[in-house]
Amino acid sequence: MAADVTRRSRPGPLLTLGQVRYQLLLLLRSPLGFFITLVIPLLLLVSLNVVHPSAAAAGAAGRLRYAQFLTPAVSAFCLLNACYVTTVTSMVLAREEGILKRLRGTPLPAWTYLGGRSGSALVISLVSVAIIIVTGVSFFHVTILWQAMGYFAAAAGLGIMCFFLLGVAVTTAVPKSDTALPVAYGTVLPLAFISDVFFSSVHAPHWLYDLASAFPVAPVARAMEAAFNPATHSWPMPASGLFVVLGWSAAAAVAIALAFRWEPGPIRWHLG
Amino acid sequence: MDGAPAFQPPAIVVERLRKDYGRLRAVDGVSFQVRRGEIYALLGPNGAGKTTTVEILEGHRKPTSGSVRVLGFDPGAGGRHFRERIGIVLQSGGVDAELTVREMVGLYASFYAQPRDVAATIEQVGLAGKRRARVRTLSGGQLRRLDLALALVGGPEVLFLDEPTTGFDPNARRDAWEMIAGLRHYGTTILLTSHYLDEVQRLADRVGVMSHGHLVEESTPDALGGRDIAGTLVSFRLPAALRAAELPAGPWDQPENRDGDITMHTDEPTRVLFALTKWAVGQGVELEGLTVARPSLEDAYLRITDDASTGGRGGR
Repeated sequence: MAADVTRRSRPGPLLTLGQVRYQLLLLLRSPLGFFITLVIPLLLLVSLNVVHPSAAAAGAAGRLRYAQFLTPAVSAFCLLNACYVTTVTSMVLAREEGILKRLRGTPLPAWTYLGGRSGSALVISLVSVAIIIVTGVSFFHVTILWQAMGYFAAAAGLGIMCFFLLGVAVTTAVPKSDTALPVAYGTVLPLAFISDVFFSSVHAPHWLYDLASAFPVAPVARAMEAAFNPATHSWPMPASGLFVVLGWSAAAAVAIALAFRWEPGPIRWHLG
Repeated sequence: MDGAPAFQPPAIVVERLRKDYGRLRAVDGVSFQVRRGEIYALLGPNGAGKTTTVEILEGHRKPTSGSVRVLGFDPGAGGRHFRERIGIVLQSGGVDAELTVREMVGLYASFYAQPRDVAATIEQVGLAGKRRARVRTLSGGQLRRLDLALALVGGPEVLFLDEPTTGFDPNARRDAWEMIAGLRHYGTTILLTSHYLDEVQRLADRVGVMSHGHLVEESTPDALGGRDIAGTLVSFRLPAALRAAELPAGPWDQPENRDGDITMHTDEPTRVLFALTKWAVGQGVELEGLTVARPSLEDAYLRITDDASTGGRGGR
């Protein structure tokens, strides 16, 4: 028996924009989300600059004032919070509380939901990075190198894409909402510490530097930091770093395709 | 269903539906149809397979075998076009606690090409006074009303209600019944699961009883278990001064005696009452608690599910 009548559906891009607005509204009304995405990076920028006001940081392209290093570094941390931590915590909560299952029963296509999520992660990233840079320039005499801002934006764009996909992929492995935040920060913070997000790792042991380089945080953070270094005159992310970022993104996309679920409960693979 | 054009195909068609979870058979060979505009109730104890059946019809689960069609769609493959035309009240579905009622209903309305008016839908479920309230401040009953609003705002042709009044107080339940019954005016087809037999009696045009994954009986609420043609029950409390053996012979079978509570099964209640009251007046005694009743829906339901349980059927 064929379907008898077909109703038209609302355009997908319109639904995606609605989802962006909805996710932003939820974040603004969530004290935890607001704290994670906007307050923590700002606190880090201020407190680390206060602790090390005159320290110099050794970057891949030469020595810099610490604030000149830390401002783009904390910007990278903003991307991690906005795209990875927030995605893991809020999506696991939505799934385990049955919100995703309810949405699945509506005409909202899966891609518009994920598109809305990624759009809101992009907006939050832009806002939080802007706050960090404005604070760095206003209070810590950070200089913006306008000729390198294209590199900064491109590296940030890669980071937003990769961290968001990894965040969605990780939700498939987190079974309960109360474990989402520990899992998110338990994976992010160790990587951040070895990936030039808080301190330069130029003088770190080779094995630690190489270990960090195998994960996507370091290539993104180092490229964003290089865009604030006057010695940078070309695209600062090496091919190996780009390969790592794209490789992790692709792996995350595969994991999402195989294991993303709308219903509460443990991981289930879509294998046929 | 009265008023439904005869040529319309059924809204829901289920044929030999089976669903296995590993070695557990949750639904086993279930077949039924729901006509357009009909309110059909699935009754059954916990684990009978009702929710699994409904979730397959909603497209949330895939059947192991058998065929299901809702409005002509295969629910698992119908996609957006299918979901444009259905509404779902989940047994336990989440809502965003920090949004207001107006925002939630407005958000869900935005998913549909032809939604109902948001304010009218909120009014319809009795939440007009709460439209600016955050969802986290709503009571359990108000949350279920919001569930209903979210399911209704898309203007569904088929509405799935999985235990829609669980947690309601009696007044709220009656309000919800009126609201659900009012959906008949829109021609909405409703598949309802419920533990409340009075709810089924009040709302359903037909009822299917599930037990251990099987559909063990299908009927109207009034005729379930043959209770429309079953004998009448005449009950009363035997006066303390009398013994059951002193009851006279009459047009009844052997009465049941439970510590002085007498129940008589009869197909001739008028003659029984006449004989009984004549005897009581003659004895000068009052028959306390004298009632005349047909077997209730609960009696029929319990007998059907008990029979199914003792019939040796396995699985869930």
